[in-house]
Amino acid sequence: MTKKESFRCMMCGYEFEEPVEPGEDKERTCPMCRSNSIRHMKKRAVKDKTGESDE
Amino acid sequence: MGPKAIDVGRHPNIELLTYSEVEAVSGYVGNFSVKIRKKARYVDPEVCNSCNECAKVCPVVKPDEYQMGLGSRKAIYIPYPQAVPCSYILNMDDCLGTTPIACGKCADVCEQECIDYDDRDEIIERDVGAVIVAIGLDVYDPTELDDYGYTRFENVITSMEFERLICAGGPTAGHFIRPTDRERPKRIGFVQCVGSRNAAIGRPYCSNICCMNTIKDTLLLADHYPDLTNTVFYQDIRAFGKSFEDMFQRSKEAGTRYIRGLPGDIEEDPLTRNLLVTVENTTTGKLERHEFDMLVLSVGVIPPKDLAKISGLLTLSKTSDGFFLESHPKLKPIDAPTRGVYFAGFCESPKDIKDSVCQAGAAASRSGALLNAGQITVEAITSYIIEDACTKCGACASVCPYGAIIWEKGQFPVVVEAACAGCGCCGATCKSNAIVMRHFTDEQLIAQIRAILADKPEDKVFVFACNWCSYAGGDMAGISRIHYPSTNRVVRTMCSARVSEDMVLEAFRCGAPIVLVSGCHYADCHYINANRQTVKRVQRLWNKLDRLGIRPERLQLEWISAAEGQKFAKVMVQVEELRKKVTKEEIEQTIKALQEKPKKQRKAKSAKQTEASVSTP
Ligand SMILES: [Zn+2]
Repeated sequence: MTKKESFRCMMCGYEFEEPVEPGEDKERTCPMCRSNSIRHMKKRAVKDKTGESDE
Repeated sequence: MGPKAIDVGRHPNIELLTYSEVEAVSGYVGNFSVKIRKKARYVDPEVCNSCNECAKVCPVVKPDEYQMGLGSRKAIYIPYPQAVPCSYILNMDDCLGTTPIACGKCADVCEQECIDYDDRDEIIERDVGAVIVAIGLDVYDPTELDDYGYTRFENVITSMEFERLICAGGPTAGHFIRPTDRERPKRIGFVQCVGSRNAAIGRPYCSNICCMNTIKDTLLLADHYPDLTNTVFYQDIRAFGKSFEDMFQRSKEAGTRYIRGLPGDIEEDPLTRNLLVTVENTTTGKLERHEFDMLVLSVGVIPPKDLAKISGLLTLSKTSDGFFLESHPKLKPIDAPTRGVYFAGFCESPKDIKDSVCQAGAAASRSGALLNAGQITVEAITSYIIEDACTKCGACASVCPYGAIIWEKGQFPVVVEAACAGCGCCGATCKSNAIVMRHFTDEQLIAQIRAILADKPEDKVFVFACNWCSYAGGDMAGISRIHYPSTNRVVRTMCSARVSEDMVLEAFRCGAPIVLVSGCHYADCHYINANRQTVKRVQRLWNKLDRLGIRPERLQLEWISAAEGQKFAKVMVQVEELRKKVTKEEIEQTIKALQEKPKKQRKAKSAKQTEASVSTP
């Protein structure tokens, strides 16, 4: 079930791939600059159960 | 342990439910309702006199779990000699049949007539004011890490198995023998940190008890069998408790060899079944080979397997090592983040008997104080619902880390103020602005944003900082006299999850070149896991900014703990660098892009909030 997904550091711009496990609860850090501004570069917009959406 | 358990069983104010499992917990501090499954024992503990006649005739022989599989038990058995209540129990999975036609020998011989094959699980409910979680630990299974040959060599045993082998009540009645030839071993090796302090297998923490347990074992062996030689392979000996250093010294004086270094390779001599250990002695830097009759793996401890279930029932969260997260690691180590729930023992972190007893006493005192007071003071910072604005969507209830918002489809949500801790995540999530967070209302926060950015916003980095960690991290940078750019302007919220999308966008609308949202690290979130909602929200905002043609890099997210003054300063330097790259034209374009869709809804809502906050409690 684990698959690699793309992330982009919003601080330094570094792009990287990391495995994402279903239901994981992980604090992400940029491997280059240690920033926590890590954007998950998902392909499609997702809706979570809070009703807040990407749109 | 035995006498203590008996005292508990006899205490008039304690109802002891053994062989039972908590199925559900509802309610909140002072008003919990607990649903418990009392599993069928098939033996009436009130009538059973433990005569053992049933076990004598039972034809089923199974490995005894209490003896680590080194002994056997019957399908009807007492789980361990000092079990409370002292009554037999019938394991139906092992039993040959539930009808006397299949077997029924035990019921035939039971003079007390206390065996009932038709016994069934029973669900009971109890109302309680406080809950103490003391679900203990599991022991690391060394089959996972087979480097030490546990699955291949019979004379490699775990410290738990060793414990049974030297115990007078154990399967060998205390005669210390090794598994292959049932002879008394002469050379024993102990390997420390098996399943502990090993990041490669995801267990980087120290299990706390293994060093002293091994030291105790070496002293025990030296006392009982003076001809025996003990060797301990270790990374560090951690003997920091009262009298522990003394025990360590006594162990060395008793002849135990301590070799700094963990074995790299273990082989078995096929003839003697002895174990040949290759180890790099890190003190001498030399490769050594040792031969032992028996090798004891000092296995670490792991969070109990039921921990996930209990965290679901009581809305608790875990630290990165898998144990329960306490309300505050230094100031509230007994309290769970959920009010009215306390921890005792291993489930919170690895600790020895003394520390477990201390924590249990403290947990009992904490709950006693809570219950005796008869009333509680609710947080001043709690949320309430404006029903006129509420669309009954239930989003607030789904994000509340405490389960403090009760909502049913088609109904208005209700905030249980006794359970609300005041993170404000609900208020930031509510799309219809129907939630007011006392002392941190949308109105108040938006007003702060506008005031800060009223003059020369292009020169400022706008920062949202959570009360407990990042704001305190800023204080730490200050008191540590760490230099950082003075361009930042900080708005404090109790939790980063209080910062709504609209607040961030309002800062950009007011001309902020850079907005930073900062909160506690995952493991430190003071509101269980509210900051996970911050991540989701910032993620959505990055996407939204992208769509609007605004550089998403202008919104930053950082986790800064109260101790990380250095990190706070470093981040301030980084965001200042980012700020310098934002031009006036870019800011103007951003304001334009964000004003194209006027926030009528927000204005209407804040008007409602102002109205409500004037007239509400
Ligand atoms: Zn980076």
